[in-house]
Amino acid sequence: MVKIYSTPECPWCHKVKNYLKSKNVEYQDFNVEEDDAARDELYKLTNDLIVPVTTIDGSTYVTSFDKAKLDEMIGIN
Amino acid sequence: MTKPNKELDLLIIGGGVAGLTAGMYAGRMNLKTLILENELVGGQIVNAHGIENYPGFLSIKGSELVERIQEQATTARAEIDEFDTILSVQLTAAEKIIETETTIYKPHAVIITSGMMRRKLPIAEEKKFLSRGIHYCELCDGHMYQNKIIAVVGGGNAAVDAANFLDKYAQKLYIIHRSPQLTADPVSQDKLLKNPKVTCFFNTNILKAEGSTSLESILLEDKNTHEQQTLKVDGIFVNIGVVPNSQLFKNDLTIEKSSGHIIAGETCETNIPGVFAAGDIRTKQIRQLTTAAADGTVAALLAEKYIQQQKEGK
Repeated sequence: MVKIYSTPECPWCHKVKNYLKSKNVEYQDFNVEEDDAARDELYKLTNDLIVPVTTIDGSTYVTSFDKAKLDEMIGIN
Repeated sequence: MTKPNKELDLLIIGGGVAGLTAGMYAGRMNLKTLILENELVGGQIVNAHGIENYPGFLSIKGSELVERIQEQATTARAEIDEFDTILSVQLTAAEKIIETETTIYKPHAVIITSGMMRRKLPIAEEKKFLSRGIHYCELCDGHMYQNKIIAVVGGGNAAVDAANFLDKYAQKLYIIHRSPQLTADPVSQDKLLKNPKVTCFFNTNILKAEGSTSLESILLEDKNTHEQQTLKVDGIFVNIGVVPNSQLFKNDLTIEKSSGHIIAGETCETNIPGVFAAGDIRTKQIRQLTTAAADGTVAALLAEKYIQQQKEGK
């Protein structure tokens, strides 16, 4: 399952989510402003708290909206 | 693999307020219309926390206003593609060709509403600390600075608005502005200047950013006295103005050399028949959301006339 670390007001987070929806990719969304565990997970994964971050395996990830990298990571044609 | 060719009545380049308004009008006139936006639908106002000068709303978040205008445009059957990127444009009186990553579009008319992009902080360390202490989106990155020391660079509406938003995270807020006073709306300024967390540095430039892996301090210089001081900060948010997004059109359209805006008057017509420039991208004195909406309206109505004439072979 694709995971997105985001905050509610971040416009680039919305863009990533809209893109995945447009490609019928299901994802779990974690609000790092309220979810402390997700915030810790994000920091552990990226050594940072920048959002949005998208991951599928919990080790590789894509920061912000980078269509080419998202396509490659998720396998979107 | 060859890309598909698509014919359209109208292609709108840019999905800010001008572009969405043009899309809404064009859709309502039954023009086959596509809006291409490769960054954020809504443009600059997506980051606005409270808009209080758009008629019909006492106060509305930028993102909410965008959603409403976007819904009006799509309800009117304008299509929006926010995931394709324009690679090249060829604009002549005879033909308009816009090539994206996926498609070659050949519309009868084009409205350019590509707006403005944020000016970067002009210091050598900008790249080193980008997203490691230097930021341009407080809505995205503000949460990283809970109880930290934050500086906002700039003194216009966007900067003051950003500082008022960041107040909820900051332990201490600095405003660093190169001019002697803020230029934001008086209401926003009052709110900011009454905040006890806020200290302003006017007539001040940032010379340098320092830190090992992330930003730790900035070196300031008073423009009048040339006195320098180091300020400890955890993060800075930059709002020092915008520059026109006109690079893509410089081969075909007449661009004002000093500013980079596309030259077009009240009718939004450019030097090429059937190509219009609307909103912040065109040469004009006043750039507001309301004038962007007005430009979008004018451009769409005149584009429709142009398209009808083309179809009738006039």
